[in-house]
Amino acid sequence: MAFLSFTQNAFFLSLRRFSLGGLMLAMLGLPTFLAACSPDEKTAEQKSTPDKTVEEQTPLGPEGRPVVLITGSNRGIGLALTKEYANQGWHVIATCRHPEKADILQSLSAKNPHVVIEKLDVTDLSAIDALAAKYKDMPIDVLLSNAGISGGRDVQTLGSFKYDAIDKVMAVNVIGPLKLAEAFVDNVAASKQKKMVTITSTQGSITKTFGISYFYRSSKTAVNIVMHNLAIDLKDRGIIVSLISPGMVDTDFMKGLPLPLIPPAQSAAMIYKVVDGLTLDKSGVFLNHRGGEEPW
Amino acid sequence: MRVVVRALALACFFLLPGMGTPPVEGGHTVLITGSNRGIGLEFARQYAARGWRVIATCRHPEKAVNLQAIAAANPQVIIEKLDVTDLGAIDALAHKYRDTAIDVLLNNAGISGGLNNQRFGHINYATFHDVYAVNVVGPLKMAEAFQTQVAASDLKKIITISSTAGSIANSTGLLYIYRSSKTAVNMAMRNLANELQAKGIIVGLIAPGPTNADVVKGRVPLGKPEDRVKVMIDVIDRFTLDMSGSFVAYDGKVLPW
Repeated sequence: MAFLSFTQNAFFLSLRRFSLGGLMLAMLGLPTFLAACSPDEKTAEQKSTPDKTVEEQTPLGPEGRPVVLITGSNRGIGLALTKEYANQGWHVIATCRHPEKADILQSLSAKNPHVVIEKLDVTDLSAIDALAAKYKDMPIDVLLSNAGISGGRDVQTLGSFKYDAIDKVMAVNVIGPLKLAEAFVDNVAASKQKKMVTITSTQGSITKTFGISYFYRSSKTAVNIVMHNLAIDLKDRGIIVSLISPGMVDTDFMKGLPLPLIPPAQSAAMIYKVVDGLTLDKSGVFLNHRGGEEPW
Repeated sequence: MRVVVRALALACFFLLPGMGTPPVEGGHTVLITGSNRGIGLEFARQYAARGWRVIATCRHPEKAVNLQAIAAANPQVIIEKLDVTDLGAIDALAHKYRDTAIDVLLNNAGISGGLNNQRFGHINYATFHDVYAVNVVGPLKMAEAFQTQVAASDLKKIITISSTAGSIANSTGLLYIYRSSKTAVNMAMRNLANELQAKGIIVGLIAPGPTNADVVKGRVPLGKPEDRVKVMIDVIDRFTLDMSGSFVAYDGKVLPW
C-alpha cells in the first residue's frame, strides 16, 4: 500500500476493491494471501448467507484481506471503527462482552461475512487466551484495543474517592490492552502491517491535566507508558505500537457532558487514516485522531 | 528556660501516655510511610537529626529494629504501625493525629512488584493490584486523609517518592507494572497539585534514582541512600508553591513526564 498516499489508497479501495485491491495484495501481500488460503477455501466470489453462524465462517482465509481485531465493538467508537474497517474491505474480528445485545453489530455481520463477532470481556484473561488459541493461525494486521471505561463519575472526586473503583478501570483500560498484546503478539508479528493500536485519551496527558477524573486519567497515563515501553521492546520484531486519542466523540461515554463532540463516524475515519499511515518511527508516540503528537 | 520547657514537654510525653502527640518546640513535623528500611529509614534518621518530630510508619514496627534504634535515641520520633493498603487504618491514623499540623507528608512506601512478574509473555496480572494498592492508592488515600493536617501546618507539603521508571519520555522498556504504577501516581499527584493550589498546599514528586535500598537492590548504578536522602531533604525544603505538581529527580532537576 506504500506507493499510494493513504487518501488515494482509501479512495481507490472503496471504488475498486476487488481489482486494485487484488493487484496490490498480489504485489505486496502475497505471503499473507497464501497463508490465508487453505485447500478448503471457497472462491473469491463466495456470497454471504444472512443466517451464517460464527462457527460456519472460516476462522482462516479472509480472502487475502488485511485483518483487524477490535475490542468494545458493540457501540461508540468501536462500532464506528468496525464499520469503517469493514467498508475499507478488511476482515474484522469484532469483539464485545454481550454479542446477543449488540443489535447494530449483529446486522452488520449478517450483511458482511467479513465482520465476525466474538464474545470477549477484556478483563477475562483466560478468555483472551482462548480467543488467541482459536485464531492462532491468523495473521492480524491491526490489533485495536478500543474497549475502555470511565470508572464512574461519582467515585473519583477528591474528598470522596471510592478506591475500589480503581481495580475495574485499570483492568479494562490497562491490563486488557497489555494482555491482548501478549496473547496476540505472534499473530501481529506474522502479519503484513504489524500494528498494535490502543485507543487512549488526552485526559491521560499529565502535561494537560487540570484535575478531576483521577482514576480514569491515571488509567490512560498508565496504558500510555505500558504501550510506549512495549513499542521499545517489540521494535526488533518490526511491530508498530501506537497510542491514539480519538478526540471528543459523541458516544454514551461522553453523554451529558457540555462539550463540542464529533460524530463517531468522523473520529473512526480519522483514526483509520492515522493507523493506515503508521510507520515504525511513529511507534510508541502519543498521537491524536488528526495524526498530531500529544505531550505526555 | 528553654531547657526547662523542653524537659517539661518530654516529661509530659513520658508521664502521660495515650494523651496523644507531644508538643513540639518550634520544630516541624514529618510523617513518613515505609520508614522501616531503605530510603524511608534514612529520611526518618535525617529528619530526626534536624530536630523534627517524625511520625514514622511501617507495617511491622516489631521487626523494624533499625527504626526502633532511631526512636530510642530520639524521643521526638514516634513509630506508628500502618499498612498503606489498609484504607481504614489510614483513616484511623488520621483521626488519631487530627489535631497535629503535618508540615511534610512523605509518601515513601513503595514496592516494585518483582522483575519476574513483569516479563512480556509471562506477565503476572495479580501483581498489578498489589503494586497499585501500595504505589498509587496508598499515596492518594494518605493525601486525602491528611489534607487538613497538612493545610494547618507552616510548610504544607505532600511529597510522593516516585521513580525515573515512571517517566514515559525516558523509558527504556520492561517493568510494565512498576512503571505504570509510578506514572499513574504522577498523574494523580499532578491532578492533586492543581486542585490544592488554592489551599496553598505544595504537592511534589521526587524520583530518588536507583539506590542500594532493598526495593531495587541489584540494579546499577547505585547511590547510597544516606547521600541521596540528604540531597532530597534539601529539595523538599526548596519546593515552593509555584513548583507544585513538578516531577523532579533527587537533585531537584525537572524530569519529563
